[in-house]
Amino acid sequence: MGRARKLVSGIAIVAVLGAGAYWLTRPKVIDPAEITAAEDEVALTEFPERVLFGDTHLHTDNSIDAFGFGVRLGPEEALKFARGDEVTSTTGIKAKLARPLDFLVIADHSDALGMTRRLYDAPRLAIRDKTLRRWRDMMHESPEESVRATSELIAAAGAGTLPAAMLDPSRRDENTAEIWGNQLKVLDRYYKPGKFTPIAGFEYTLQPDGNNLHRVVMFRDGIERTSKILPYPGLESTVDGLFDYMDGYEKATGGRVLAIPHNSNLSNGLMFELTDAGGGPMTAEYARRRAAREPVVEATQIKGDSEAHPFLSPNDEFADFGKKGWEIGNLTLSFAKKDSMLAGEYLREALKRGLSIEERTGANPYKFGMIGSTDSHTALATGDEDNFFGKHTGNEPNKDRAMTPQNLGTRVGRFGWNYLAGGYAAVWARANTRAEIFDAMMRREVYATTGPRMVVRFFGGFDFAADAFKGDWVRAGYKTGVPMGGELTDGGAKAPRFLVSALKDSEGAHLDRVQIIKGWVDASGATREKIYDVAWSDADKRRPVNGKVPAVGDTVNRAKATYTNTIGAAELRTVWTDPDYKPGQRAFYYVRVLEIPTPRWPLFDAVRFGFKLSPEAMADAVAQERAYSSPIWIGPAARKTAAR
Amino acid sequence: MNLPGWTREPLVHFLVAGAALFALFLWQGEPADTASRTITVTREDRARLAIEWERTMQRPPTDAELDDQVERYLREEVLYREALRLGLDRDDPVVRKRMSNKMDFLAASMAEAAHASDETLAAWLAGHPQRYAEDTSYSFDQLYFAERAAAQRALAAPDGGEDISVPPTFEAASRSEVEARLGAGFVTRLDALKPDSTWQGPVPSGFGWHLVRLRQRSIGKVPPLANIRSAVEADWRSETQAARREEAYRILRDAYDVKIER
Repeated sequence: MGRARKLVSGIAIVAVLGAGAYWLTRPKVIDPAEITAAEDEVALTEFPERVLFGDTHLHTDNSIDAFGFGVRLGPEEALKFARGDEVTSTTGIKAKLARPLDFLVIADHSDALGMTRRLYDAPRLAIRDKTLRRWRDMMHESPEESVRATSELIAAAGAGTLPAAMLDPSRRDENTAEIWGNQLKVLDRYYKPGKFTPIAGFEYTLQPDGNNLHRVVMFRDGIERTSKILPYPGLESTVDGLFDYMDGYEKATGGRVLAIPHNSNLSNGLMFELTDAGGGPMTAEYARRRAAREPVVEATQIKGDSEAHPFLSPNDEFADFGKKGWEIGNLTLSFAKKDSMLAGEYLREALKRGLSIEERTGANPYKFGMIGSTDSHTALATGDEDNFFGKHTGNEPNKDRAMTPQNLGTRVGRFGWNYLAGGYAAVWARANTRAEIFDAMMRREVYATTGPRMVVRFFGGFDFAADAFKGDWVRAGYKTGVPMGGELTDGGAKAPRFLVSALKDSEGAHLDRVQIIKGWVDASGATREKIYDVAWSDADKRRPVNGKVPAVGDTVNRAKATYTNTIGAAELRTVWTDPDYKPGQRAFYYVRVLEIPTPRWPLFDAVRFGFKLSPEAMADAVAQERAYSSPIWIGPAARKTAAR
Repeated sequence: MNLPGWTREPLVHFLVAGAALFALFLWQGEPADTASRTITVTREDRARLAIEWERTMQRPPTDAELDDQVERYLREEVLYREALRLGLDRDDPVVRKRMSNKMDFLAASMAEAAHASDETLAAWLAGHPQRYAEDTSYSFDQLYFAERAAAQRALAAPDGGEDISVPPTFEAASRSEVEARLGAGFVTRLDALKPDSTWQGPVPSGFGWHLVRLRQRSIGKVPPLANIRSAVEADWRSETQAARREEAYRILRDAYDVKIER
């Protein structure tokens, strides 16, 4: 009896294997022609009419650290969740986005794509490397140990001490090809042009000495082109290598690709240097290459906010958002932060550096737009305070995550509550397709939000009417000016004029104020900045004091994690002319929109799970969420330079 | 094509494919003898390494770069063979787990390969119409007021409204678009209004209050299969996969006597 059953089961096993082998030779790909046809059916509006919200930076179980941190959801679940389906998170919690996203870039780490999963699955004794073996054991011991192993792994990657076995290229390419290929197929399956757009990408994880120089690399194209290459690994490379790779892709396939730097706040001053990537003098050639390759930068995400820093902008009372815990050192905390490093880390300063480099070399390496994203490692693109699923699976909603130390491989300083809930990328595209979203990023017609879906418009020109908002002002903005991300050429004696409009999130908090932040190079060649409050709520009651609009107030109930829209305004807009403009000046202008104060996720957690935040965490439990537009630049007509 | 019903049985697929694979291995033998102490890096191996390099960098490796790749490949092969020699692949809990995962994966991949006939998909579509129904669409005009009282007062003779950056008219706008612009609460209220030519409200949104003239509401229809075939097939496939995994496990499981001692 037993033998007969064994025989039957044996045959069944062989049959299953056979079927699998058969399948492997016939992968299921959606016909690219079918996708092109669907894309062609989507109507393009004359100019962008509705802003699209998405996440350009989501990790799934194919990321070496995400898997180690415990996530077991892959690209398919990630896409389902982003488009609005209910999924079950790794820790067993049912999760559904109250409002779906319009697009999603799955950006798993290219280094050792799928490696942790393989390490986890590898036979223990087959692992000769002591470190790898110990990490593997930790991963199997408990979720907590798994998180610790992954932290050590990230630290080792930063320190350049990863075991050689992890960097073996032949093994890597084989596995990477399989994972990448499967992912591209899944992306195409979920692509619904006009409705929901999955975009191919990966994260390039360059981090010398633990200094974060990561980029998300994002493709414009479908599987016909993207399947011709593999993601470019970052750990043993340079940024120039990445740019070479991008050039190679475009040349070989006719496709397009861009890179999005992120967490400059953890780069210890290296992200926006005054030199080129190798430490040599900044040349016009390098500056042009960098600007062309990196049209947008992530200004805000789970690991802090990189817009501005109080040390660099002492007059900016809103610059402290998302700084606590992140400003003490680099990504792995292998090196502490010095004040002198901050200028190379924050976007406002980088925009200023860009102007000054342009003045010197004729080219601006840091002419970038701004977006937000999550950098979530849970496969769940949650960006709101009341739905935060954690940086990684180890801190999906639970009662301890807010107050637990979250240090990557070290024993100092970062706690759960230091993490932000993450942001989203807002894109002014003419339709929801891969090409339109990509092209909008290339022309920087995008903005960052820290989660709320505020609608922000920003146009610059010289000839807007003072009562422009009475008419069809969006059309006027496009016809007689440039949208966010655009460039104006010095108009002689005329000062630049701006149309700015901010509409609150239809489901969110009222707006406190709209500011225009200007950076410029003064006559002596020094860079300067100034913040103008241009529109605010309750203007008759809130008169500026010493040039500053007083605080909007605070309706947050700390015991219940609630707020009311009894202060602030639903929409703020104005036509604003720079009162301090000097003809010929090289300058940029971007918009910052501030919401009224609302509870942050640690406060929601404290109420939901019934625990007390520490006094320090409580002091940071309420914040003003915000949006940053891409800048509009103005400068003298481009001059010819020797370097080209 | 009319095939007898038994040809569609998963078990038959198992058996046929299994027999074919068995025959293949019998005929071909093991590809490389991992017990041997001779390693030949063939021209094909070198070519494969070179191609992998080129796929990433879009240029062929230099001789030095290729030699480096070959060295790394050799190192792994040597260690792999030594590991097999020591029997490191046996009696390891992770190997067990990994192999059981692979079995699961292979069973599910049957569904990937299975061809979905129009009848199958039509039946699937009929069983889950709400998943594929197009969005309800709305054509309406709206006037905005920050305060409810102002909206109420204007209802008698609507005209103007206050400034807000929301379109005053929507033409056949999808439910998702109206939701994105005015919030889910607004759309719920919109569903409760009767489409006609009168101004109704005030209807609350996240911004304030609106007077609404709902001219038309079209309930979303389920499109014909031909228009949404790939979406239906993707869903059918993913659910069939899960079912196949379970089915395959059941077949195997039933061949075992299981005793659980307590």
